[in-house]
Amino acid sequence: MRRPEACLGCGLCVDVCPVERAGGRAFVSSLAGDEGEAQTGGAWSCTSCWQCQEACPAGVDIHTLMMEQRRREPAPEGYRRAFESVLRCGYALTVGPEVNGIRAARGLEPFELVPPGHVRMLLEKGDSL
Amino acid sequence: MKGSRFAFYPGCLVLQRMPEYELATRAVLQALGTELDLVQEAACCGSPVVESFTADWVHLAAYNLALVERMGHRTVVTVCGGCTNTLARASSALADPDLRREANRRLGALGLSVTGTVEVVHLLALLSGQEEELRARVVRPLSLRVAFTNPCQVFRPGEVMAPSGPVHSDSLRRLIELTGAQAVESGREDDCCGATLYLADPELALAVGRQRLLAAQAADGLLHACGNCRLLLHRFRRMIARDEPGLHRQALLLPQLLGLAMGLPPQDLGLPEGAWR
Repeated sequence: MRRPEACLGCGLCVDVCPVERAGGRAFVSSLAGDEGEAQTGGAWSCTSCWQCQEACPAGVDIHTLMMEQRRREPAPEGYRRAFESVLRCGYALTVGPEVNGIRAARGLEPFELVPPGHVRMLLEKGDSL
Repeated sequence: MKGSRFAFYPGCLVLQRMPEYELATRAVLQALGTELDLVQEAACCGSPVVESFTADWVHLAAYNLALVERMGHRTVVTVCGGCTNTLARASSALADPDLRREANRRLGALGLSVTGTVEVVHLLALLSGQEEELRARVVRPLSLRVAFTNPCQVFRPGEVMAPSGPVHSDSLRRLIELTGAQAVESGREDDCCGATLYLADPELALAVGRQRLLAAQAADGLLHACGNCRLLLHRFRRMIARDEPGLHRQALLLPQLLGLAMGLPPQDLGLPEGAWR
């Protein structure tokens, strides 16, 4: 993808990124690359810490650009499974009636799960209920 | 805050893996005279998964906010950074009348509606506003050295998260110190735990987590104020440092630390009897 027009190429976003510091390649590397263009990759390698966005002196909405890039790319297995779980049971981690056994053991009141179909309806234009 | 009632959004990490986080949260807030009403039928907040696949993520978050409104509450308490961030950003986004109209079109089929006026408050922000009350309730000052990781998504992005309460970068340190414990700082407190990254790159996420465990070496234990931090730095600690037991530290959740100092029974905080004495 092209470097955003507002980007100064200062690299502060890369400096503060914990993924880059750990030796990974994050979305900000593509964004603030020397050529100002398309190095792709790293859109999923993110800790969601928002430090890049806070550090950017030009106010680039890095988070939104990254999410848009993700929607154009195949998802890593972990993300794909978590999304399938949201669509299937309503939660990214598989949550079912068994959580009430765990809650009862701690003296917590029962939790009523999201009714089946609600999540798909909300995410699929609201037409299928 | 005495006599207050707030909605409580547990999130899937707490529901599936960390009932002790909800238990300890309720115990500490009850001691302060505050009750929490569970948001029944709540769905996934969406963080960080749903937004990665669809721009319609905001309608799922709006559903959860609509449930809070249906309960008659104006404030929802969260304990996970991801839930806090996602629900607060959705609440802020719903100020756009076109987006709100579309959200209400979808919610209407479920008999719900949303105004986008619910305030989303992480437990850290709520407790930071009660420092004096908490300090007055410390009956058993703790002689512990505690390292900590700031729950990053509770603080950023500042333009959305800052208005949600008096939460700032030294909030967690200040709460630790009012219990009598010593906050052990390494300068890496704002570095993310790496939990979200685990979905995309488990090996790299564990490497990020290892940095956090290394930074906690000088402490007796590591304090968490987010389910994601708890998951990666505690539940996954053997994957992070399988052959380095010296890197393992006891883990404590923010309300557990406060509850111990307030003299609450360990079992009410989801801790074994005699823990952290």
